[in-house]
Amino acid sequence: MRRFEPARDFAPNLAPMVDVIMVLLVFFLLGASLNLVKQGVLQTELDPRSGPGGGAAVEVNPRIRIALRAAGDAQGAGVEPDAPRILLMDDALPENTFESLRSVLLEKRRAGADPDNMVVIGADTTVRWRYVVSAMDAAVQAGFKNVQFAVSFRAEDAAER
Amino acid sequence: MTLNLAPMVDVLMCLIIFFLLASKLVTAEHFPVKLPWAVAAREVETHDLGARVTINVRRADGADEHAEYVVVDWTGRDIAERVLQPGELVGLLRSRAARAAAENQPVRCVIRADEDVQYQHVETVLRACGLAKVGNIVFSVNKGSQPEAASVMPLGVEGGG
Repeated sequence: MRRFEPARDFAPNLAPMVDVIMVLLVFFLLGASLNLVKQGVLQTELDPRSGPGGGAAVEVNPRIRIALRAAGDAQGAGVEPDAPRILLMDDALPENTFESLRSVLLEKRRAGADPDNMVVIGADTTVRWRYVVSAMDAAVQAGFKNVQFAVSFRAEDAAER
Repeated sequence: MTLNLAPMVDVLMCLIIFFLLASKLVTAEHFPVKLPWAVAAREVETHDLGARVTINVRRADGADEHAEYVVVDWTGRDIAERVLQPGELVGLLRSRAARAAAENQPVRCVIRADEDVQYQHVETVLRACGLAKVGNIVFSVNKGSQPEAASVMPLGVEGGG
C-alpha cells in the first residue's frame, strides 16, 4: 500500500515573493518621498500685548502699514477679478501690484528705513489668503524682518480672556 | 543549488513596514492644502520647528464663508484628521502650550492655509493664538514664485484646426 508521504525537505520557491515585496517596497518608498514637496515658511510674531491681559485694543503706530481692501470688480482689465486694492499708509500705490509694493518698500529701505521697523498688514476679511501672503512676501523681500498682522478681537472673545 | 531567500524576505518585510509607517507619519505635516507661493520664504526642516501645532485651513462646502480647521493628530490609537470648530482652536492651543511649557519648550503654531481661503478664516486662527498666548506663528508656503496662469490651463483644452 502506498501512503502519501510529505517531502522531506520541502522549500517553497521564494523568488516570486521577493519580486512582489520589492515592488511594494519601491511603492512605499516613493509614496513617502513624493509627498515632500519643497515647502518654506514665513514667520511672524503676534504682538504680546494682544493676548489676554492686554485689555482693550492697543494702539499700535507702525512705521509701515499695508492695507488690503476688497475691491470688487472696480478694476481695469487684465487684473485678477478678486485682487484687492493695496494701500500703503492709506495711499494707493503707483500701480496696484505686489511688484510695485515691493519696489516702494525697497525704496524706503534704501532711503534708510530700519529693517527692524514694524510692518503691519491689515486685510479685509474677504481678501483671499494668497494676496495676504504676497503682501508679506513683498515686505520680507524688501528686507523687513518684523512683519505683523492686525488682528481684531471681537466681543465674543471677551469671555475667553 | 538555490539561494536561500528567506532572510532576504525578512529584511524586505521590515523595510516595507518601516516605509508604510513613515509615509503615514509624513502625511501629518503634508496634509493636502494648496499653499500660496512666496519668494522670500525660508526653507526649514520640520524638526527644526520644535514643539508645534499644525493647523490646516481649507474651504468647506465650496463656499468662501465656510472653512474647516483640520488638525492631523495622534488620537491614541492611530493618526487621524480631526476637523475642529473655530471655538475649539483656543482650547487646543492652550493645552498644547501648557504641555510644551511643562517641558520648558516654546510652542509655535504652524498655519497651513489654502491660498483661496478668505483672510477672515486665517484671522480666526491668529485670534485663537493671541488668546492662547502662542505668539510664535509660522505660515507654510511653497517656495518660489507663482507658476504662470498658462501652465495651469485646464486639461483637455486644445487648439483645434
